[in-house]
Amino acid sequence: MKWFKTKTIYLFIPSFLFLLLPLYGLGAAIAQSLSDGNAFTLIYYKELLQSDRFLTSVGFSLYIALVSSLLSLLIGLWVTRTCYPLLEKYTPRLIVWLPMLFPHFVWGYMVILLLSETGVLSQVLQMTGLLAESSDFPVWTRDPNGIGIILTYVWKEVPFVILMLLPVYSSIKPQYYDLVQTLGGNGWDRFRTVEWPNILPVITESFLIIFAFTISAYEVPALLGTTFPEMLSVLSYEWFYGSTWEERPLAFAAMSALSIFLLIMTLAAYLFLNRKRWRAMRGRIS
Amino acid sequence: MRLLSLLGLLTIMLLSACSSQNSSQEFSTVTEQKWSEVEADAEDTTVRMFMWGGDEGINQYIDDWVTPNLKEKHNVTLERIPMDTGEILQKLQTEKQAGKQDGTIDIIWINGENFKNAKENKLLAGSFTSNLPNFNEFYQTDDPAFQTDFGTPVEGMEAPWGKVQFVFHYESEKIETPPASFEELKGWVQENPGKFTYPNADDFTGNAFLRHILYASADTPSDIYDSPLDEGSISETAEETWNYLNEMEPELWRSGEHYPNTLTELDRLYSQGEVWMTMGYNEARAESLINDGVFPETTRSFVMEPGSIGNTHFLSIPFNSTNPAGALTAINFMLSPEAQLAKLKPNYWGENTPISIDKLPKEMKEEFQSVDRGQSVLSQQKLEDSFLPESEAAYVDWMKEQWFDEVVQN
Amino acid sequence: MRHYKIRFYVLASFLFLFPALLLVLQSLSKTWRFQRGEGIRFQLDSFQVLLSDPNLWSATGWSITIGLLVLLINLVVGITTGKALTSLSFRGKSFIEAVMLAPILVPVLAIAIGLHLFMIRIGLADTALGVVLIHLVPTVPYSIKIFQNAYQQLGRSMLDQPVILGSNPWHQLVTIELPLMKPAIRSVTFLTIVISLSQYAITSIVGGGTIITLPMVFFPFLDTANASIMAAFSVWFAMIPFFLYMIVEALLWLLPYSKKMRRTTT
Repeated sequence: MKWFKTKTIYLFIPSFLFLLLPLYGLGAAIAQSLSDGNAFTLIYYKELLQSDRFLTSVGFSLYIALVSSLLSLLIGLWVTRTCYPLLEKYTPRLIVWLPMLFPHFVWGYMVILLLSETGVLSQVLQMTGLLAESSDFPVWTRDPNGIGIILTYVWKEVPFVILMLLPVYSSIKPQYYDLVQTLGGNGWDRFRTVEWPNILPVITESFLIIFAFTISAYEVPALLGTTFPEMLSVLSYEWFYGSTWEERPLAFAAMSALSIFLLIMTLAAYLFLNRKRWRAMRGRIS
Repeated sequence: MRLLSLLGLLTIMLLSACSSQNSSQEFSTVTEQKWSEVEADAEDTTVRMFMWGGDEGINQYIDDWVTPNLKEKHNVTLERIPMDTGEILQKLQTEKQAGKQDGTIDIIWINGENFKNAKENKLLAGSFTSNLPNFNEFYQTDDPAFQTDFGTPVEGMEAPWGKVQFVFHYESEKIETPPASFEELKGWVQENPGKFTYPNADDFTGNAFLRHILYASADTPSDIYDSPLDEGSISETAEETWNYLNEMEPELWRSGEHYPNTLTELDRLYSQGEVWMTMGYNEARAESLINDGVFPETTRSFVMEPGSIGNTHFLSIPFNSTNPAGALTAINFMLSPEAQLAKLKPNYWGENTPISIDKLPKEMKEEFQSVDRGQSVLSQQKLEDSFLPESEAAYVDWMKEQWFDEVVQN
Repeated sequence: MRHYKIRFYVLASFLFLFPALLLVLQSLSKTWRFQRGEGIRFQLDSFQVLLSDPNLWSATGWSITIGLLVLLINLVVGITTGKALTSLSFRGKSFIEAVMLAPILVPVLAIAIGLHLFMIRIGLADTALGVVLIHLVPTVPYSIKIFQNAYQQLGRSMLDQPVILGSNPWHQLVTIELPLMKPAIRSVTFLTIVISLSQYAITSIVGGGTIITLPMVFFPFLDTANASIMAAFSVWFAMIPFFLYMIVEALLWLLPYSKKMRRTTT
């Protein structure tokens, strides 16, 4: 068995080579945020902590990212659970994946086309006389609560969650379900004992991916966000591409801090998952 | 462990492989040549022009007019590459940092704060406008509009390509007489709540609108555009500006709780009839939008007292261009009367020219004067009378921060 | 059973099919102002603008070429690493797993400059190969995850058995692992191509204008108020991963057992 193991480790070579790229990029960003041109400095991080605008944007970003990723997961899980035999088939699967064909900003743009105060829905309602004028239509896009941003993300990420969960669900052996049924378990037992252990790693990873994406992506909030409150990514972008280049280190500091936060969160999640896996395996051996 | 040492080796290889590229020829040796030699060197080469690409009229002007004519006249192939100016400069900056001397960019389209950043970070090749025959012959070379760009001395490092002026657009079917001054605009907004708004200060156009208010709040506009930014001395003017904006805010579209993120967003509101006015930093831009059915056909434009800000935009050459002779030839061609005339005609771009009409041969002069720019464009006379120069680039940034504090968070 | 099928189709059509059709309709008509009693005014100008862009076809070609190369490398890295992560347990595995996911957790804006520097130093800036490598950053972590999960579902016994029976790894991959991981291959294909296709910032920085991909032609038009052009570009954009997916799906049929399995399931 030993030769097998040592050989398997060579399978890591491609991915380690690949990792050089992003790690170099991240290293360069952190270095930029810690240097005032010549010497080491923490001044940009201090400046961030003293900036009300930055702190408000952090709060708003956390709220948007949490709500978007949790909603996407719940809906995606529900659809996959109830429909996975159907989703194995060609056409239904392609229909569900359809939103993934469009880049995020296109989908955001579609949300505006459909649901803004002058969007198609509002226009149709006005045409049929159900709505007197466009200002009576609820403000769902570019609103201070981020409804438009969340809506776009959920709409776009639910197919992704399905994509991640589908292979897991289609490989759960039906015998397990039979077993639960024979033992008199209900739907909840079925979910808890058969599905949950199988999907937990994927659910966790999907959450991490969606959370990281929604908290740091720029395009959708730039299109669907409002002037205030703004998302961290929009503020960083402004610092980065703004007219003076003096604020660039602030953008690097904000994004480096965010990256480190996300990495620690991910590490914690894997420590938790792997401990579970270890336990499960030990249980199997003994 | 073996893996780790492999990684280490790779890293060392990467670090040692840096910045040993051969340098492109010195820019001054090219500009010192006779013009005929420059053109001869340029023959049969490719010039890559990087420019913002979000307007199909502008793109078509380059692709359908400039490229074929440049090829025919000078045997130079022009390639247009769409990219945001901020990204272009970022690319150059990183290349500078890495010591990459053989760049991919030969011409950039630039002005204002971008020019300032490019110049300060030494991303431009150097001074060249005095070598361009067309510039010397047909342009008022000592025009202050060509000498400084948003307050930054040009020093021959960019050649004037076009000229635009800020105008407001309105639906003439709904508004009989548009406001004639910024004071009247406030009155109009209060009489027509929800029918006006402006893009936020991070947007190029929104920021220009706000600077108009600043000009209007000063004793005379020249107090702003003739003096460098000094927060102390303009504090009273600034106070008045914020008062104006805050008084107007409750009557804006969506009660001023949201300002359009971009001009595009405002344009869409206007095209839907949500708001009755829009604006833009190009006096002729409504024409193509009307033709495409985006803006209503009754769209017209207006300017208000104390005037409307105009600026010049330029073409420049980056420090690591590999074909400076080709770039010079192409820029000289784009400054030619023929190229400027085609640019002025509304079928492609319809943009105003920085050329001096008086310096043109008689026939050319008549052709320029006979161009019909379209019904939505104000007369040349009206535009010239209301023209105000841009202030220093520092005002743009100051406005961004102050507006957010004084108007949005208030 | 029938009941939930109908409900699924109604809901899915409304939520996923309808918006896509809306974009198609907008691409074929002028700006909508229904509230003013205007009907749909059809036009084809938007597609004319699209097709008259001299960069369109070469950009489409580049996007497809790069997308397929990125997919290929993704399959290699995803399968090797996915397998390694499943078969090996070792101290610090959590750390390795977190680092593997890191490239998609880090904001692109933060690492773009570093990536560009890296590419200039290894001499791959402004080349197609550089763009392919850079597109691995936002795609490979997904592939690793998907294949790791797939291998986990196969179970270790399924991986050990052929070794005990004396099969070589390559044979084992083609005859056992790949056919059983078809859903994973599908997901990776779809995701990789879609992500690679929509990369704007890093492509424009590393490709440097030498390599013009579709987003570089498309993104500047975000600034246009002309809804029809926006929609026309979006539709064009969505067609490409769709067709590439079809091609890969056809290739999947060539894997062992595919035909038989199809026949037995239908």
